[in-house]
Amino acid sequence: MTGRLRVVAVLLTAMTVQVTVLEELRIDGVSVELLLLVSVLAGFHGGPDRGALVAFCAGLLHDSITATPMGLHALVYAPLAVATSHLEIRLARSTRLILAAGLAVAMAVGVFTTMLAGGLFGLHEVEVASLARTAVVASLMSVPVAVPTSRAVRWAVTRGLPVDVDVRGSGVEPRG
Amino acid sequence: MAAPRPTGRSRPTLLLLVAAALTLLTLQFRGFTPLDSFQQGMRDLLDPVRSVSEGAARPVRSAWLGVFDYDDLRDRTERLEKELARMRGRQLSSEADRELLMRLMGEVGIDYTTLDTVVVRILGTPPGNFSSHTIEVDKGLDDGLSEGMAVVTGAGLVGRLEVVDRSRSIVRLATHPAFRVGVRLVGSQDEGLARGAGASGHLVIDAGIRLDVEVAVGEVVVTSGGRSRFPADIPVGRVLDPDEGADQDREILVEPAASLEHLSFLNVVLDPRRDDAGPLERG
Repeated sequence: MTGRLRVVAVLLTAMTVQVTVLEELRIDGVSVELLLLVSVLAGFHGGPDRGALVAFCAGLLHDSITATPMGLHALVYAPLAVATSHLEIRLARSTRLILAAGLAVAMAVGVFTTMLAGGLFGLHEVEVASLARTAVVASLMSVPVAVPTSRAVRWAVTRGLPVDVDVRGSGVEPRG
Repeated sequence: MAAPRPTGRSRPTLLLLVAAALTLLTLQFRGFTPLDSFQQGMRDLLDPVRSVSEGAARPVRSAWLGVFDYDDLRDRTERLEKELARMRGRQLSSEADRELLMRLMGEVGIDYTTLDTVVVRILGTPPGNFSSHTIEVDKGLDDGLSEGMAVVTGAGLVGRLEVVDRSRSIVRLATHPAFRVGVRLVGSQDEGLARGAGASGHLVIDAGIRLDVEVAVGEVVVTSGGRSRFPADIPVGRVLDPDEGADQDREILVEPAASLEHLSFLNVVLDPRRDDAGPLERG
């Protein structure tokens, strides 16, 4: 299976799981934002370029299933994936706990920013306290599903990549 | 990281993607039909899967409610039993009340009970976390529904259809901050424009009513009809605060007639006049 097909498979699966299983599992009216999680992890595993592309597509799918204006989620997800890819470099030698905390923060920022953007476009009222609560609950709910999602996203965005030897440095430099 | 990680120059790609997202947003707000069709197609594609998932989850949800929300269910049952007893007590006078109501409605020209409607069942909140002041119902294009149709209960206006797919629709409730409706005060016959007030659960008439108009607390507010997307004379609510002390911008607070809590079924009004919606009500 080619890289593009793997990404399409992961995105379609995530979309289906989002509108079925995860919609039934709401806490205080808030559900997991699986496509946002995929976007964050795509940036984390796939690097800024590929992460941004995957996140953009995930955002468009999210807009379709939630009936929000096309491009709203994509507008937030792609920059977030790029930001997460830079975070990955800083957290390369971190423990699982710190990685989980970083993921939760990235998710909270993603949910909050998306809802803020939605508020600016008149989709709902902007109440910072309510948005913050939704962002925190959604990010915490995302942590338990992060491990299997991370494996799937890593499989989709990194499998089969050639590895280059960085002749200028001392390490091995992968290339996209 | 165990897996190899690609690198790349992200700035041009990101700028391109952000520009693409902004272009799509602009096109969508300008009413570019293919985008709507694409989104609707995706939702229609997923609809059978969602139906199966909802069916499978129903017993689990019922069991969950039975275990963790038992007190709430018991309170609700007690409340309904009291309501039933009260209604039985009123049964004898209901016929007289009905005659009086019909006479009063006739006097002010209200006949919204005769409108053609389709009964829809509430499914819950739409997917995602953008669902404040919106609900999802179980009928759509296949049942003759279309965007903009008024949604009512026996008590009055609930909202309007915002998104209509083949077999599901999303209702924007009257309390949604972006909801607009042309209204008429039954007492003074003055017409204005009301909007949803969001979390407070009220509506606010913030345009069209002059400062010198006398508005009484409890005065009935109905839809104005005319060029409005909604049929005339659907009860909207009662005036809660007439804002008589306003110097410039008068904001009359209205309590919705239809209670939006514990609803199971709604009526969608099949009215051809919705196509002539006034520009202020759009959006």
